[in-house]
Amino acid sequence: MPGPSLTRRTAVVSAVGSALTSPLVLAGCDIDPPRSTDGSPASPPPPEDAELVASVVAELVRAAAVLEAATLAVPGLTPRLAPVADAHAAHLDLLVGAVADTDVPTSAPPSLPPDRVRTLAAVVRSERRLQREVRQACVTAASGDLARVLASVAASTAQHGASLARDPGGTTAAVAP
Amino acid sequence: MSVLDALQATLAEEHAALYYYGVLGARTSQSASPALYDAVTAAYRRHRARRDQLRLMVRDAGGEPVAAAVAYELDGPLVRAAQVQRTAARLEIAGAEVLLALVAQSSGDVREWALSEATWSAVWQLELGGSAQTWPGAPELD
Repeated sequence: MPGPSLTRRTAVVSAVGSALTSPLVLAGCDIDPPRSTDGSPASPPPPEDAELVASVVAELVRAAAVLEAATLAVPGLTPRLAPVADAHAAHLDLLVGAVADTDVPTSAPPSLPPDRVRTLAAVVRSERRLQREVRQACVTAASGDLARVLASVAASTAQHGASLARDPGGTTAAVAP
Repeated sequence: MSVLDALQATLAEEHAALYYYGVLGARTSQSASPALYDAVTAAYRRHRARRDQLRLMVRDAGGEPVAAAVAYELDGPLVRAAQVQRTAARLEIAGAEVLLALVAQSSGDVREWALSEATWSAVWQLELGGSAQTWPGAPELD
Protein backbone atom coordinates (compact mmCIF):
# COMPACT_ATOMS: atom_id res chain seq x y z
CA MET A 1 0.00 0.00 0.00
CA PRO A 2 1.46 3.37 -0.91
CA GLY A 3 2.04 5.97 1.70
CA PRO A 4 4.54 6.72 4.37
CA SER A 5 6.07 3.84 6.13
CA LEU A 6 4.29 3.09 9.32
CA THR A 7 6.76 0.44 10.29
CA ARG A 8 8.16 2.47 13.14
CA ARG A 9 4.66 3.26 14.30
CA THR A 10 3.66 -0.34 13.96
CA ALA A 11 6.67 -1.41 15.95
CA VAL A 12 5.67 0.84 18.80
CA VAL A 13 2.10 -0.36 18.63
CA SER A 14 3.35 -3.92 18.75
CA ALA A 15 5.56 -3.18 21.69
CA VAL A 16 2.72 -1.57 23.56
CA GLY A 17 0.27 -4.19 22.39
CA SER A 18 2.44 -7.08 23.44
CA ALA A 19 2.60 -5.66 26.92
CA LEU A 20 -1.16 -6.07 27.03
CA THR A 21 -1.43 -9.46 25.50
CA SER A 22 1.51 -11.34 26.90
CA PRO A 23 0.79 -13.35 30.01
CA LEU A 24 4.47 -13.19 30.88
CA VAL A 25 4.49 -9.43 30.96
CA LEU A 26 1.19 -9.25 32.74
CA ALA A 27 2.46 -11.64 35.35
CA GLY A 28 4.23 -8.65 36.85
CA CYS A 29 1.06 -6.63 37.05
CA ASP A 30 -0.70 -6.59 40.34
CA ILE A 31 -4.05 -5.59 38.89
CA ASP A 32 -4.69 -7.95 36.05
CA PRO A 33 -4.34 -11.67 36.37
CA PRO A 34 -2.59 -13.44 33.50
CA ARG A 35 -4.87 -13.53 30.55
CA SER A 36 -5.77 -16.60 28.66
CA THR A 37 -3.99 -17.30 25.42
CA ASP A 38 -7.00 -18.49 23.48
CA GLY A 39 -7.51 -15.11 21.85
CA SER A 40 -10.05 -14.07 24.36
CA PRO A 41 -9.62 -10.41 25.04
CA ALA A 42 -9.49 -10.18 28.53
CA SER A 43 -8.36 -12.11 31.39
CA PRO A 44 -11.19 -12.41 33.83
CA PRO A 45 -11.65 -8.95 35.26
CA PRO A 46 -11.06 -8.60 38.97
CA PRO A 47 -14.13 -9.17 41.13
CA GLU A 48 -14.65 -5.46 41.66
CA ASP A 49 -15.28 -5.12 37.92
CA ALA A 50 -17.92 -7.84 37.71
CA GLU A 51 -20.76 -5.48 38.51
CA LEU A 52 -19.46 -3.00 35.97
CA VAL A 53 -19.33 -5.68 33.27
CA ALA A 54 -22.87 -6.73 34.16
CA SER A 55 -24.09 -3.16 33.73
CA VAL A 56 -22.44 -2.86 30.31
CA VAL A 57 -23.90 -6.24 29.30
CA ALA A 58 -27.36 -5.03 30.31
CA GLU A 59 -26.86 -1.83 28.34
CA LEU A 60 -25.76 -3.77 25.25
CA VAL A 61 -28.83 -5.98 25.53
CA ARG A 62 -31.02 -2.89 25.80
CA ALA A 63 -29.40 -1.33 22.72
CA ALA A 64 -29.80 -4.61 20.81
CA ALA A 65 -33.51 -4.63 21.66
CA VAL A 66 -33.85 -1.13 20.24
CA LEU A 67 -32.10 -2.21 17.05
CA GLU A 68 -34.37 -5.21 16.74
CA ALA A 69 -37.48 -3.12 17.30
CA ALA A 70 -36.24 -0.64 14.71
CA THR A 71 -35.79 -3.30 12.04
CA LEU A 72 -39.24 -4.67 12.81
CA ALA A 73 -40.80 -1.21 12.60
CA VAL A 74 -38.95 -0.22 9.42
CA PRO A 75 -37.64 -3.32 7.62
CA GLY A 76 -35.94 -1.08 5.06
CA LEU A 77 -33.48 -0.04 7.75
CA THR A 78 -32.14 -3.57 8.10
CA PRO A 79 -29.11 -3.11 5.83
CA ARG A 80 -28.04 -0.07 7.80
CA LEU A 81 -28.66 -1.49 11.24
CA ALA A 82 -27.37 -5.01 10.73
CA PRO A 83 -23.67 -4.01 10.97
CA VAL A 84 -24.41 -2.19 14.24
CA ALA A 85 -26.25 -5.19 15.62
CA ASP A 86 -23.43 -7.51 14.54
CA ALA A 87 -20.83 -5.33 16.26
CA HIS A 88 -22.82 -5.23 19.49
CA ALA A 89 -23.34 -8.98 19.37
CA ALA A 90 -19.55 -9.40 19.20
CA HIS A 91 -19.11 -6.92 22.06
CA LEU A 92 -21.67 -8.81 24.10
CA ASP A 93 -20.11 -12.20 23.42
CA LEU A 94 -16.73 -11.04 24.52
CA LEU A 95 -17.90 -9.38 27.71
CA VAL A 96 -20.15 -12.25 28.72
CA GLY A 97 -17.29 -14.63 28.09
CA ALA A 98 -14.92 -12.55 30.18
CA VAL A 99 -16.87 -13.00 33.38
CA ALA A 100 -17.97 -16.41 34.51
CA ASP A 101 -21.61 -16.76 35.44
CA THR A 102 -22.59 -13.47 33.91
CA ASP A 103 -26.32 -13.45 33.48
CA VAL A 104 -27.46 -12.13 30.17
CA PRO A 105 -30.59 -10.19 30.96
CA THR A 106 -33.43 -9.69 28.58
CA SER A 107 -34.83 -6.38 27.53
CA ALA A 108 -38.33 -5.77 26.28
CA PRO A 109 -38.09 -4.14 22.88
CA PRO A 110 -39.48 -0.63 22.80
CA SER A 111 -42.33 0.25 20.54
CA LEU A 112 -41.11 2.28 17.59
CA PRO A 113 -43.16 3.98 14.88
CA PRO A 114 -43.07 2.69 11.30
CA ASP A 115 -41.42 5.94 10.37
CA ARG A 116 -37.91 5.79 8.97
CA VAL A 117 -36.60 9.14 10.22
CA ARG A 118 -38.09 8.89 13.71
CA THR A 119 -37.00 5.31 14.17
CA LEU A 120 -33.49 6.06 13.00
CA ALA A 121 -33.37 9.00 15.40
CA ALA A 122 -34.40 6.66 18.23
CA VAL A 123 -31.57 4.29 17.30
CA VAL A 124 -29.04 7.14 17.25
CA ARG A 125 -30.22 8.24 20.71
CA SER A 126 -29.95 4.69 21.97
CA GLU A 127 -26.42 4.32 20.59
CA ARG A 128 -25.38 7.58 22.24
CA ARG A 129 -26.75 6.38 25.55
CA LEU A 130 -24.84 3.13 25.15
CA GLN A 131 -21.66 5.01 24.32
CA ARG A 132 -22.00 7.18 27.46
CA GLU A 133 -22.50 4.12 29.66
CA VAL A 134 -19.59 2.19 28.17
CA ARG A 135 -17.38 5.23 28.38
CA GLN A 136 -18.17 5.66 32.06
CA ALA A 137 -17.47 1.99 32.66
CA CYS A 138 -14.14 2.28 30.85
CA VAL A 139 -13.03 5.19 33.01
CA THR A 140 -13.92 3.42 36.25
CA ALA A 141 -12.77 -0.12 35.44
CA ALA A 142 -10.12 -1.45 37.82
CA SER A 143 -8.63 -3.71 35.16
CA GLY A 144 -6.59 -1.97 32.47
CA ASP A 145 -7.29 -4.83 30.06
CA LEU A 146 -11.01 -4.47 30.57
CA ALA A 147 -10.75 -0.68 30.20
CA ARG A 148 -9.07 -1.19 26.84
CA VAL A 149 -11.81 -3.54 25.65
CA LEU A 150 -14.48 -1.10 26.81
CA ALA A 151 -12.67 1.78 25.11
CA SER A 152 -12.83 -0.16 21.86
CA VAL A 153 -16.54 -0.86 22.38
CA ALA A 154 -17.11 2.86 23.03
CA ALA A 155 -15.12 3.84 19.93
CA SER A 156 -17.00 1.29 17.81
CA THR A 157 -20.33 2.54 19.12
CA ALA A 158 -19.29 6.13 18.36
CA GLN A 159 -18.30 5.12 14.83
CA HIS A 160 -21.56 3.33 14.16
CA GLY A 161 -23.57 6.17 15.70
CA ALA A 162 -21.74 8.74 13.61
CA SER A 163 -22.22 6.62 10.54
CA LEU A 164 -25.98 6.47 11.13
CA ALA A 165 -26.21 10.15 11.96
CA ARG A 166 -24.26 11.19 8.86
CA ASP A 167 -27.03 10.12 6.57
CA PRO A 168 -30.31 10.44 8.47
CA GLY A 169 -32.27 10.25 5.22
CA GLY A 170 -31.12 6.70 4.89
CA THR A 171 -30.58 6.85 1.17
CA THR A 172 -28.06 4.05 1.34
CA ALA A 173 -30.78 1.71 2.52
CA ALA A 174 -33.23 2.67 -0.17
CA VAL A 175 -32.61 -0.54 -2.07
CA ALA A 176 -33.86 -2.64 0.80
CA PRO A 177 -37.10 -4.51 0.22
CA MET B 1 5.01 -0.59 31.35
CA SER B 2 4.37 2.43 33.53
CA VAL B 3 1.94 5.24 32.78
CA LEU B 4 4.95 7.42 32.00
CA ASP B 5 6.29 4.89 29.49
CA ALA B 6 2.88 4.66 27.83
CA LEU B 7 2.61 8.46 27.70
CA GLN B 8 6.06 8.73 26.13
CA ALA B 9 5.23 6.04 23.56
CA THR B 10 2.03 7.88 22.69
CA LEU B 11 3.90 11.18 22.45
CA ALA B 12 6.50 9.65 20.13
CA GLU B 13 3.65 8.46 17.91
CA GLU B 14 2.09 11.90 17.91
CA HIS B 15 5.34 13.48 16.77
CA ALA B 16 5.32 11.10 13.81
CA ALA B 17 1.62 11.64 13.09
CA LEU B 18 2.10 15.42 13.08
CA TYR B 19 5.00 15.10 10.66
CA TYR B 20 2.96 12.91 8.34
CA TYR B 21 -0.05 15.19 8.53
CA GLY B 22 2.16 18.15 7.67
CA VAL B 23 3.24 16.31 4.53
CA LEU B 24 -0.32 15.22 3.73
CA GLY B 25 -1.59 18.77 4.09
CA ALA B 26 1.10 20.01 1.72
CA ARG B 27 0.11 17.37 -0.84
CA THR B 28 -3.60 18.18 -0.69
CA SER B 29 -5.16 20.79 -2.90
CA GLN B 30 -7.68 23.00 -1.14
CA SER B 31 -9.37 23.82 -4.43
CA ALA B 32 -9.27 20.37 -6.05
CA SER B 33 -10.28 18.32 -2.99
CA PRO B 34 -11.71 20.72 -0.41
CA ALA B 35 -13.35 18.01 1.74
CA LEU B 36 -10.09 16.09 2.07
CA TYR B 37 -8.19 19.30 2.70
CA ASP B 38 -10.59 20.16 5.54
CA ALA B 39 -10.37 16.66 7.00
CA VAL B 40 -6.56 16.66 6.92
CA THR B 41 -6.32 20.19 8.30
CA ALA B 42 -8.70 19.41 11.16
CA ALA B 43 -6.76 16.26 11.94
CA TYR B 44 -3.47 18.16 11.96
CA ARG B 45 -4.89 20.60 14.50
CA ARG B 46 -6.27 17.81 16.64
CA HIS B 47 -2.96 15.98 16.66
CA ARG B 48 -1.05 19.15 17.44
CA ALA B 49 -3.27 19.74 20.47
CA ARG B 50 -2.86 16.07 21.39
CA ARG B 51 0.93 16.35 21.26
CA ASP B 52 0.89 19.47 23.43
CA GLN B 53 -1.36 17.78 25.97
CA LEU B 54 0.86 14.70 26.02
CA ARG B 55 3.90 16.85 26.73
CA LEU B 56 2.09 18.32 29.72
CA MET B 57 1.00 14.90 30.95
CA VAL B 58 4.53 13.50 30.61
CA ARG B 59 5.83 16.38 32.74
CA ASP B 60 3.03 15.85 35.25
CA ALA B 61 4.12 12.22 35.47
CA GLY B 62 7.66 13.32 36.24
CA GLY B 63 9.22 12.74 32.83
CA GLU B 64 11.01 14.76 30.20
CA PRO B 65 8.93 14.65 27.00
CA VAL B 66 10.56 12.71 24.20
CA ALA B 67 11.58 14.87 21.27
CA ALA B 68 10.46 14.45 17.69
CA ALA B 69 12.77 12.82 15.21
CA VAL B 70 14.28 15.13 12.63
CA ALA B 71 12.30 13.39 9.90
CA TYR B 72 10.21 10.29 9.38
CA GLU B 73 10.37 7.90 6.51
CA LEU B 74 8.02 8.35 3.60
CA ASP B 75 8.19 5.36 1.36
CA GLY B 76 5.28 5.67 -0.98
CA PRO B 77 3.83 8.11 -3.44
CA LEU B 78 1.44 10.71 -2.10
CA VAL B 79 0.35 12.22 -5.34
CA ARG B 80 -3.29 11.36 -5.66
CA ALA B 81 -5.96 12.50 -3.24
CA ALA B 82 -6.94 8.86 -2.67
CA GLN B 83 -3.39 8.07 -1.52
CA VAL B 84 -3.42 10.99 0.88
CA GLN B 85 -6.81 9.96 2.23
CA ARG B 86 -5.77 6.36 2.70
CA THR B 87 -2.59 7.36 4.47
CA ALA B 88 -4.45 9.72 6.78
CA ALA B 89 -6.94 6.97 7.61
CA ARG B 90 -4.06 4.64 8.47
CA LEU B 91 -2.64 7.29 10.79
CA GLU B 92 -5.94 7.41 12.66
CA ILE B 93 -6.21 3.62 12.82
CA ALA B 94 -2.71 3.39 14.28
CA GLY B 95 -3.42 6.35 16.57
CA ALA B 96 -6.45 4.64 18.04
CA GLU B 97 -4.33 1.56 18.80
CA VAL B 98 -1.68 3.55 20.62
CA LEU B 99 -4.28 5.47 22.60
CA LEU B 100 -6.05 2.30 23.64
CA ALA B 101 -2.73 1.03 24.97
CA LEU B 102 -2.57 4.21 27.02
CA VAL B 103 -6.12 3.58 28.24
CA ALA B 104 -5.02 0.20 29.55
CA GLN B 105 -1.96 1.56 31.31
CA SER B 106 -3.55 4.62 32.89
CA SER B 107 -6.43 5.60 35.11
CA GLY B 108 -8.49 8.64 36.00
CA ASP B 109 -8.02 11.79 33.95
CA VAL B 110 -5.30 10.35 31.70
CA ARG B 111 -7.44 7.33 30.83
CA GLU B 112 -10.47 9.50 30.18
CA TRP B 113 -8.42 11.75 27.90
CA ALA B 114 -6.96 8.79 26.02
CA LEU B 115 -10.45 7.35 25.59
CA SER B 116 -11.76 10.63 24.17
CA GLU B 117 -8.88 10.90 21.75
CA ALA B 118 -9.16 7.26 20.68
CA THR B 119 -12.86 7.78 20.04
CA TRP B 120 -12.09 10.87 17.98
CA SER B 121 -9.55 9.00 15.89
CA ALA B 122 -12.04 6.18 15.36
CA VAL B 123 -14.81 8.52 14.26
CA TRP B 124 -12.49 10.62 12.11
CA GLN B 125 -11.68 7.54 10.06
CA LEU B 126 -15.20 7.91 8.64
CA GLU B 127 -14.26 11.39 7.37
CA LEU B 128 -11.28 9.78 5.66
CA GLY B 129 -13.21 7.13 3.76
CA GLY B 130 -13.15 4.48 6.47
CA SER B 131 -16.09 2.56 7.83
CA ALA B 132 -17.23 1.60 11.31
CA GLN B 133 -15.47 -1.39 12.85
CA THR B 134 -16.28 -3.79 15.64
CA TRP B 135 -12.97 -3.37 17.49
CA PRO B 136 -11.34 -0.09 16.54
CA GLY B 137 -7.95 0.24 18.18
CA ALA B 138 -7.94 -3.43 19.20
CA PRO B 139 -7.74 -5.37 15.91
CA GLU B 140 -6.58 -8.57 17.60
CA LEU B 141 -10.11 -8.96 19.02
CA ASP B 142 -11.65 -9.32 15.57
